[in-house]
Amino acid sequence: MILEVKGLTKSYKKGINAVDGISFDINEGEIFALIGPNGAGKTTTIRMIATLITPTAGEAFVNGHSIVKSPSKVREAITYLPDEAGAYKTMKGIDYLRFMAGLFSSDKAEIDKYVERAVNMCGLGNRLEEKINSYSRGMIRKLLLSRAVMNRPKLAILDEATSGLDVINALDIRKTIKRLSKEEGMSFLLSSHNMLEIEYVSDRVGIMANGHLLEVGSIGDLKEKHGAANLEEVFEKVVSV
Amino acid sequence: MRFGNMLKKELSQLLTKQAIISMFVTCGLLMMLGKTMGSTIEGIATNNDINVLCLDSSQFASDMLDKLSDYGTNVKRIDVQGFSSDTAAQTLHEKDLKVLVVIPADFSEKAESGKQADVEVYTLMSGTGLASMVDDSLASDCVSSIESYLRDNAESNIVGLTEDQSKLIRKPMLMAEFTSANGRTAKAPASELSGILMSVNMIAPMAVFFLLFMASQMIMTAISTEKIDKTLETLLSSPVSRITVLTAKMTAAVIVALLNSLTMMVGFAFYISGMTGGGTMTVNMPTGTDEVDLSGAVDVFKAMSELGISLSAGKLALVGLELFITLAIGLSVALILGAFASDAQSTQTLIMPLMFATMIPFMITMFMDVNSMPFIAKAILYIIPFTHAYTAIGNLAFGHTGVFIGGLVYQILFLAVTMFFAVRIFTTDLLFTMKLPGMSKTQAKSQN
Repeated sequence: MILEVKGLTKSYKKGINAVDGISFDINEGEIFALIGPNGAGKTTTIRMIATLITPTAGEAFVNGHSIVKSPSKVREAITYLPDEAGAYKTMKGIDYLRFMAGLFSSDKAEIDKYVERAVNMCGLGNRLEEKINSYSRGMIRKLLLSRAVMNRPKLAILDEATSGLDVINALDIRKTIKRLSKEEGMSFLLSSHNMLEIEYVSDRVGIMANGHLLEVGSIGDLKEKHGAANLEEVFEKVVSV
Repeated sequence: MRFGNMLKKELSQLLTKQAIISMFVTCGLLMMLGKTMGSTIEGIATNNDINVLCLDSSQFASDMLDKLSDYGTNVKRIDVQGFSSDTAAQTLHEKDLKVLVVIPADFSEKAESGKQADVEVYTLMSGTGLASMVDDSLASDCVSSIESYLRDNAESNIVGLTEDQSKLIRKPMLMAEFTSANGRTAKAPASELSGILMSVNMIAPMAVFFLLFMASQMIMTAISTEKIDKTLETLLSSPVSRITVLTAKMTAAVIVALLNSLTMMVGFAFYISGMTGGGTMTVNMPTGTDEVDLSGAVDVFKAMSELGISLSAGKLALVGLELFITLAIGLSVALILGAFASDAQSTQTLIMPLMFATMIPFMITMFMDVNSMPFIAKAILYIIPFTHAYTAIGNLAFGHTGVFIGGLVYQILFLAVTMFFAVRIFTTDLLFTMKLPGMSKTQAKSQN
């Protein structure tokens, strides 16, 4: 098991539970998606797993390491791509990849290997020699996605992975995620509003609303359970209850 | 109707909370400065008497001083026992005098025997700021009046002038100017020394202000941009400790601050060197004709050194250290404020307190000598850590070493506190959860 979440809770001072005792897990090579309406607690959950904020209660283990007790070990096993994230605009694309690779390894040969992998994956070609401030939103997203998987993390956490990408590029990214999962055994925790994308790419989904995890299961099981034709219908039925 | 709608929308965007606060603070600042300057000018305007110490007990000198009002000079006689140039500084300090004209004991003897008489002018330099700038116009007027009196007196007594007598009438007396500061007295015109010190004391704080403001804005924008672009989230979820990230940011900021302060100090050294023309600056004083040596050119910078008001290498180093700590405070405060930012507008709002904290003491110290202000005003100003940078040169020049050192210690403690908060913010959820009071719900959500 790559990720094990047990009763994870995040409360704020005013007594608001942004995330309220959720539990789920992700197996090796599995693509798991968290879906839910705005304010459901998806991003807060992801931020806790990414060790950016600490849980008020509960625990989560990434590759066996506690996010509370061993956050540095967790960070070695994950990569995180926030929604609408940017990159350092004054850097060239290639320098950004090299800088980020340098955070995961101090071995030059390994850094070169990571960068080469990202260069091949992002498909930006010669544009990588240009400064990022000249990139379109889609180009930045492709750069960041390739950064997120270049070191083959145990768990890649992608918040709205394909936001800002056109149909062709988005499809390309989905295929890449599937391939990395099946061929290289990488695990993914996704968060998205795009039901079509989630249905296409995910093995299992967790439906969240008001900080609670309402349903967890494979898309096929959920559709059958709720008598729905697609994930969108499942989502509508679960959330509206 | 459409125009009204558009106008309403434009005004609501322009008249933000920060714009309104900025307007009121600027207005308040100008009012305060106006009042301060007004009371200073009033003080100068209402005090038209010139203090004169007459060491000459003759009737001639007494008559002359009585008659000076006819020449437009109001004399206020001061009585001091055992006055000499060595005790001048102490006398000025004890009697709370800014300027003192001294009529030497042999004044009338010289004047009546057809020799050029001497008059000495002593001026106390006590601080910096426009309000402390030496105004020697009253002394100059007094000396002119004495000269006119002597000339008129000579003309009425002498018939059939020799060449020497004509020369004496053209220049019946000589003036020697002395300046006192830090309990010492040196022979040099106070107006020259004051002018030099003032120009140094105006340029340096101005440079500090711009440097502080620019450096703080730079680090604040850097942090807020990282937050807004979410590059900070990417960075902090990578296998690098938060302390490492913070230390790298602070070290980079400190290096930039250090480079800035070094560059500034080099520029400042060239500025001073440029003014001195390679080490000396002289002003001509009247040539003496008798045993009293009033002769020659006076080395102003030598005089400044004698008075202890020049900026030695050691003092420059201390000013550099002061500047470095000030910049480090500015940067750490900017780092903390930048962590509150959620968008470009909030960044602008957050920079305001820093802007005012740097601008207000800058404006006040430009006009006023903080050390001569009432205790409460002085305390309030010195609580603002940036004030110490603006007053550093003045405090070191005028022997307020205790105030300077106290300020430095206070700044170091202040820096420690701000650093503590910066570390706390960076190592806890605060970095992602804290927000400005009054921030919109949408903004708050985007942070959660």
